[in-house]
Amino acid sequence: MNRLFSKDLWSGLMFAGFGVLALVMGSNLAVGTAIRMGPGYVPRMLSYILIGLGLAIVARSLISPGETIERLRWKPVTMITIGVVVFALLFERAGLAPALVCLIFLAALGGQEFKLVETILACIVLTALCVVIFKLGLSMNISIIRGVW
Amino acid sequence: MDLLNHVIQGFGVALSFQNLLYCLIGCMVGTLIGVLPGIGPVATIAMLLPLTFKLPPTSALIMLAGIYYGASYGGSTTAILVNLPGEASSVVTTLDGYKMAQKGRAGAALSISAVGSFFAGTFGTVLIVLFAPMLTAMAQKFGPAEYCSLMALGLVAAVVLASGSVIKAIAMVFLGLLIGLIGTDVNTGAQRYTFNIPELSDGIDFAPIAMGLFGIAEIIGNLEKRVGGRHVVAAKISSLWPTREEARLAAPAIVRGTTLGSLLGVLPGGGPTLAAFSSYTLEKKLSKTPQEFGKGAVQGVAAPEAANNAAAQTSFIPMLTLGIPSNAVMALMVGAMIIQGIQPGPEVMTKKPDLFWGMIASMWIGNAMLVIINLPLIGMWVRLLTVPYRFLYPAILLFCCIGAYSLQNSDFHVMMVAIFGVIGYIFLKLGCEGAPFLLGLVLGPQMEEYFRRAMLLSRGDATVFLTRPISAGLLIVTALLLLLMVLPNFRKKREEAFHEEG
Repeated sequence: MNRLFSKDLWSGLMFAGFGVLALVMGSNLAVGTAIRMGPGYVPRMLSYILIGLGLAIVARSLISPGETIERLRWKPVTMITIGVVVFALLFERAGLAPALVCLIFLAALGGQEFKLVETILACIVLTALCVVIFKLGLSMNISIIRGVW
Repeated sequence: MDLLNHVIQGFGVALSFQNLLYCLIGCMVGTLIGVLPGIGPVATIAMLLPLTFKLPPTSALIMLAGIYYGASYGGSTTAILVNLPGEASSVVTTLDGYKMAQKGRAGAALSISAVGSFFAGTFGTVLIVLFAPMLTAMAQKFGPAEYCSLMALGLVAAVVLASGSVIKAIAMVFLGLLIGLIGTDVNTGAQRYTFNIPELSDGIDFAPIAMGLFGIAEIIGNLEKRVGGRHVVAAKISSLWPTREEARLAAPAIVRGTTLGSLLGVLPGGGPTLAAFSSYTLEKKLSKTPQEFGKGAVQGVAAPEAANNAAAQTSFIPMLTLGIPSNAVMALMVGAMIIQGIQPGPEVMTKKPDLFWGMIASMWIGNAMLVIINLPLIGMWVRLLTVPYRFLYPAILLFCCIGAYSLQNSDFHVMMVAIFGVIGYIFLKLGCEGAPFLLGLVLGPQMEEYFRRAMLLSRGDATVFLTRPISAGLLIVTALLLLLMVLPNFRKKREEAFHEEG
């Protein structure tokens, strides 16, 4: 059990995985020679090193597993990530205010306790703050609600 | 007398109304994030980076530098008063600082730490003035091979002196180097790993990556930890004046801390945290009453506080003279310079003397400002601590998103923040540190340039790195550092240095 959830085992696999990914995706890049290096020379070199290091870490973890990964909690990571993605999608299309409200609500839902009144208040305060800092203060070209202001 | 002229020129720049204002803003923001746990200088600087585009380069860098050294000041205030280190560099201060506060000597601890930091900051600034020109002169003799070796040394040293597993940190450096190559190849114009996304063809932006790794991932990690209601009972501050006995003990400790901190700050990967831990260990070894440490020893506050501030100052030396960042904050500063159209390296001092000397002068002014901001306003900073985290993190999230958007007015960068937030969370869970990754990321493109140029000049002969004396010397030091890590004795020492008492 301990062995299977070792931090080292999975980080080694991650590094090796990134190395393989870079090799595969960079396979169309010309390697060239040591004198006239193509665009693929250095990436390929780095990929091999990364795979080597990753495998070394995996090998070490098989000998001594080290720390195990703490239990994952899905709520914070999913809610925060969805919040940022929704913000990215809405910011240009709908404006700052709707994007902000969605982000704050999703983020608050990802926290330990959700308090509706507090979250609504936070939205109002932060919207006001953003209008003052970014729109009026730094005169950035952003719309608060698309088509209205 | 050249030097004196430079310094006068620097103060002329730094004392302009605009630069004083940005210095003050930087110091205030720095103190604020130093006081607040859960957000550090790396995420803050990344977040504010886009806002500095419109500023002149000097003002922008003055402000960003202020955030960096201001954070280490603010961090110690909360370490002493409420036993909460705001920053990693003030973890040791909690050991004796909080004990002093419990004994009713909070005022003395605060003023000793402020005076110590100010003394260290001044000394660090003088060191920069003295040594920067020398290093710059040396660096001007460097060819591509030397630069490449120097960067290798910097990256390895950063790994060896940082905490945690060395092999994983090295792998993180390589991963950073690899991801740093995303974009158009300078020599051939070929697209590398860009997936036909136009935003990636100019190279990957490090600011959203830093926000994701150090801002978002940090928030997710904090939310997981299920922190209960924070009971902040701030110790009462009586008199700010230390007793004669306290002053007698603190003064030499400040000098020792400053010296050690200045040395460790220059080393790549050194920086404030390592300096604080090492000087605490040193004081304990030198003290005639080591049993007092951990129970409110004055030296245990004075030395690490001086050391972390000295290191914060001197870590600018390799960045300003060689263009090599020694820690994650300096990596962002290098990025900020590149964004402003300044290639960091030895030319900065000769081609942009205003910027170079102005920034150094502003650091001294900033340190003086911090003493003034911190001591009388302490009550206000401490009250900020009572703001619950659930009010704080949505605001941090929001500012990260808007900051990322305003980089190039594109929602692509906000998506990047989300992606690297998840990646950062995975790093966190697997015990992989973000700092070496960021260093590799920022240095990657330059290092490839120098490597390819060196190989071109030597007609493909890789021994060029070993036949040129300076380059060979740098690589030998790099190899020795790596060798050190294999020695069990040194490894034990290194772990001790990072886990002092816990």
